[in-house]
Amino acid sequence: MFRSRNLHGHQARMAYLFITPTLLLFGIFTVIPVFMAFYLSFTNYDVLSRMDWVGFSNYKKLVGDSLLWQTFLNVFYYTIVFVPLNILLSLLIALLLNRASRAVKLFRTLNYLPTLTSAVAAATVWIWVLHPEYGLLNGFLGYFGVTGPAWLSETSTAMLSIIMVTLWQSLGSNMIIYLAGLQGVPDYLYESSKLDGANAFHRFRYITWPQLRPTTFLVSTMSIIGALQLFDQAFVLTQGGPANATKTPVYLIYQQGFNQLDMGYASAQAFVLALCILAFSLINMKLSRAEEPIV
Amino acid sequence: MKKWMSTIVVGVILVGLLSGCGSSSGNTGKSSEGTGKETNKPVELTFWGDWGGEGQKQFETMVNAFNESQDKIRVKYVLQQDMITKFLTASTSGGSPDIMFWDRWRTSLYAPKNVLHPIDEYLDRDGISRSDYYDEALKELSYKDKLYGLPLTVDARALFYNKTMFKEAGLEAPTNWAELEQAAAKLTKWNGNKLEVAGLSLGDPGLFSMYVQQAGGKMLNDAGDATAFNSEAGKEVLGLWGRLLNEHKAYKLGFEQGLGEGQDAFVTGKLAMNFTGPWMLSTYKKYGKDLDFGIVPPPAGPNGDKASVMGGFGLVIAEGSKHKEEAWEFVKWWLANKDNVLLWSKTSLNIPGFKPALEDPFFKDDPSWKPFLDTLEFAKIRPQHPGYSVMEVDGLIPNLQLFLEGKQDADTTLKKSADQGDRLLKDNNLLK
Repeated sequence: MFRSRNLHGHQARMAYLFITPTLLLFGIFTVIPVFMAFYLSFTNYDVLSRMDWVGFSNYKKLVGDSLLWQTFLNVFYYTIVFVPLNILLSLLIALLLNRASRAVKLFRTLNYLPTLTSAVAAATVWIWVLHPEYGLLNGFLGYFGVTGPAWLSETSTAMLSIIMVTLWQSLGSNMIIYLAGLQGVPDYLYESSKLDGANAFHRFRYITWPQLRPTTFLVSTMSIIGALQLFDQAFVLTQGGPANATKTPVYLIYQQGFNQLDMGYASAQAFVLALCILAFSLINMKLSRAEEPIV
Repeated sequence: MKKWMSTIVVGVILVGLLSGCGSSSGNTGKSSEGTGKETNKPVELTFWGDWGGEGQKQFETMVNAFNESQDKIRVKYVLQQDMITKFLTASTSGGSPDIMFWDRWRTSLYAPKNVLHPIDEYLDRDGISRSDYYDEALKELSYKDKLYGLPLTVDARALFYNKTMFKEAGLEAPTNWAELEQAAAKLTKWNGNKLEVAGLSLGDPGLFSMYVQQAGGKMLNDAGDATAFNSEAGKEVLGLWGRLLNEHKAYKLGFEQGLGEGQDAFVTGKLAMNFTGPWMLSTYKKYGKDLDFGIVPPPAGPNGDKASVMGGFGLVIAEGSKHKEEAWEFVKWWLANKDNVLLWSKTSLNIPGFKPALEDPFFKDDPSWKPFLDTLEFAKIRPQHPGYSVMEVDGLIPNLQLFLEGKQDADTTLKKSADQGDRLLKDNNLLK
């Protein structure tokens, strides 16, 4: 017992040692800036010439900023459509590719490829695919006599196009996480349930899905955070247009801080965004708690 | 034993971190001293710009020519992709550049923060005449009666038209809105529900500011603190756009989106007319071997008003520079000397802000410059309000896009744009 405690202590020390560099960097570049931003959100900081305490005036300004709230509505809409689709599709692909055969490796690679391309480059190619007259998509629809919309230039389809492009790009990495999760589901559970006469749907519903709960939690949390911080694809594909339909809070924060030099107000906006991310993550946590694992 | 090991590891890491910090700070200390003390060595200047590729080569041509012309000052061009952000941090932490390539409209936002150095004294001392430069360009580089830089390039949009299409249709280049509208209607070609040739590009709602001035209107009021486009002139513009889109079907939204250089709609004959600037000349000449195009100044509005928006770049000296005199020498050499301005124009194919250079045969003998030079005679800069671009991008353009999509009528569009625009101007005013 004495020995094992000693070993434990030693392991803990080594562990702390190994995470020290990362934690230091995390502290310097993440934790401290967060506190600084919180302070700055109560000032009129403009990077160059002033940093005076202005109390809650930045937050008061937020309330009447209709453009900011529209960008929040935009990303809420995006998140609510994107996150469930992301989970559903990446799990589906993972289930399809969760078997040992040579062809599967090829398909796994193909599904993962979009993740490897840079967001900006991929979005540039998608602009082409979505072109109203010469794009692949509308050309394809044309074979069925359908005149496709100007995907990126119409308020009703612009956000859907962005959801499509970002889904295409994020499925690969989530598929990998789900595959790892699926490999971790013990075989004996399936065997015993088969003996008890469970069909494929039952096995998925009562074994696979509950067993994947931690994986689903990880995937959903990461995609919620990513979704609320949507920026680069939206920026390349539509520049926030048409009619602000795809403008996002991150775009506004960047513009307010770095283009208009109103860092104080930008910090206040960033804090509201952070609170939203927190709220969404908590809701997500509640939802996935509801499903208790069976083992 | 193992305790020893961990102590050693910690020690190595700490030493590594400390020495890393130490050596870098030591280096910077030395280099900043070095330039100040050793007087026989040339002064080294840093010139920041965000042009890479061809633009970088053009800048380097000028920098090298300057370095060879004398041996007291050495200038180095440094490409900063995200120049403005870098400049913000550099201005507060030292390490500021000496000279910067400057998008002129930013002056009204940055000059009040005291990060740019006024050059009026130098100008007077060296007897450089302000009348040699475009007034509007100097105005854009000024804030409260102080001048913060010299114009490097000037540009303004003019109307590019496809000569072949005009000849086939028996049309002359338009000189007013009525002719523009007729030509656009006549040159548009549809094949079923596919648009084959668009008469006139309506892809950039940002051109509203040009159209509204052609209609005799203004973007901001005389005091420059509120929008003024919710007017008869604004209605004229939306009336024209509405007729072009809905009656003549001369354009389709998204038609030009994502088309790169080689597939540019104007190059490939899918677009008959387009308002664009001299920056497209080289592309059109390079790709359009079969493209016979002409350029005319923008057609006059219903009451005969001519207008275009002047833009362009300048060179400014940073307040944080330790060698402002030398920086000025470089700026003066480049922008106040006819030969060097011409070298720059010929290298970069830009219209310079220094007027005497425009007398050179390089500009006089090539007919493609003339329409731009004519346009520049009446072109005006954007209003100098620090929130102007935000007002356009977040207040006006989104509403114009709703109008173009047919989801909002002209009156509502102008009203909403003006309301939102006024609020954005107020929120982004410096004096709050």
